[in-house]
Amino acid sequence: MSHPQDLSLRAQADAVRSGELDAGELLDATLARFEERNGDLNAVVATFPEQSRRMLDEAPDGPLRGVPVGIKDEFSIPWRAPRNGSSIDAIPAGESAVFRRLRDAGAVVAGVTQMHFWGAGTTGHVSAYGPVGNPWDPTRCAGGSSGGSASAVGGRMLGAAVGADGGGSVRLPAAYCGVTGLKLTNNVVPRDGHVHAHSALGAFGPLCRDAADARLFGSALLARDLTAGDGSGLRVGVVRDPFWDDIDPSVEKACRDALDAAGWDVEEISLEGAEHSLIATVVIITVEALPEFSDEDLAAADPLSRALIKYERMMPAEALARAMRVRSQLRRAVASAFETYDAIAWPTVPAVAPPIENPTVERPSGPSPAEPANVGQAGLGNLTGIPGINVPVGFNEDGMPIGLMLQAAWNREELLLDAAEHIEQATGRRHVDAEPPIAAPAG
Amino acid sequence: MDAFEQQVRAAMELAEQDVDDTDIAIMRVADEVYGSQVRALLAEDLHDVKPELDFDPSRAPTS
Repeated sequence: MSHPQDLSLRAQADAVRSGELDAGELLDATLARFEERNGDLNAVVATFPEQSRRMLDEAPDGPLRGVPVGIKDEFSIPWRAPRNGSSIDAIPAGESAVFRRLRDAGAVVAGVTQMHFWGAGTTGHVSAYGPVGNPWDPTRCAGGSSGGSASAVGGRMLGAAVGADGGGSVRLPAAYCGVTGLKLTNNVVPRDGHVHAHSALGAFGPLCRDAADARLFGSALLARDLTAGDGSGLRVGVVRDPFWDDIDPSVEKACRDALDAAGWDVEEISLEGAEHSLIATVVIITVEALPEFSDEDLAAADPLSRALIKYERMMPAEALARAMRVRSQLRRAVASAFETYDAIAWPTVPAVAPPIENPTVERPSGPSPAEPANVGQAGLGNLTGIPGINVPVGFNEDGMPIGLMLQAAWNREELLLDAAEHIEQATGRRHVDAEPPIAAPAG
Repeated sequence: MDAFEQQVRAAMELAEQDVDDTDIAIMRVADEVYGSQVRALLAEDLHDVKPELDFDPSRAPTS
């Protein structure tokens, strides 16, 4: 057998269940792979072999029994407080709801995954632990804020890791790292034990190599089966303005080609309020977090984060009230769209992962900081609460992954997974099965 | 000192917060990225967009 972390999540689970793979050996091999690859990727910030082995010993006979997984540094686990990308504990250690769901499914938490400082960025290059590397090129950003989860999965260190998505933080790093990232419907997983439990925009979700693994892992997080269906014959709305405007040509082409390959009935539509989705997201997510920051937090922050907090404290109060009106406007607009269309689609990010040293992306209009460019694509899903998925659909001329985002009506995660699997099949699985350079055999 | 810096220094002083040149430089970049969009949001006519009476992000709006 090849290294067990080269297997899919479901293959690991099947092999443990059948007895073909010893779960203890799987855990040991996983920890060894962390040692081997984390130096390049910096995707995992904490391991705890003793507690992981105890979790394995006590694992119930669930669908993920004995399978190692990662959990983002935003969730409490019984033996470690989350640090939220900073150097200090954000909330106490304990059993977060996400931890309980993983434990009850039989999974073994093998490591805590890296994230952008305070969850306040989509590049993953700012963290108390240093930048996260992209498995396709470790000098490039892995994305954020769940960059460690995406990098660990893309780098074949884990078959699955949990992310959280308050402004694209599951979908965006998934696109950068060429993995499948499913943002669940907001508030369908209990939020206790999550650093950003205060956020009305936040949702959780799996980062996995493909849709079938995301179905298995997402079922564990939701504590309900995400049953498979037929992803062909969908009606898909393409929201050109503003989500297909100013997109890198290689990204636009790959996304268009994927929609063509799927053979769906695709029509161009508009969504009232979409032009304000970026700023409405930024205003709500930043202002609602301000009461969370203590003087100790600010003292521990880097100069960039500290200055941004000060800027956010100057935001006019009316902007927040207006952002919430935009949210209502958008929720009504997408609800109306979903009366006709099964899904809406646009590129997950406007350009591929930028260099860590200069996280600026090239758009047809010129260079742009990655941050607003990314949140502009993702924020609508957080404002409205609808589920969304990043589907790997290509690579640019530098070999960096490209992702297509599909979003569906509230609680229609199954449809998104069906659609993603349909694209995988229609494109010969060449994007989800591609191995990044870090996973290639030496020599 | 331009209007932006005057506004920042005055606001921070009223809030009894320290601010230095590095803060101002970073805040200026943030304002170049987001400021025009905040102003566009503040100028938008949202009079007819009513708030949701029973907001629940896990389901479709009912009002």
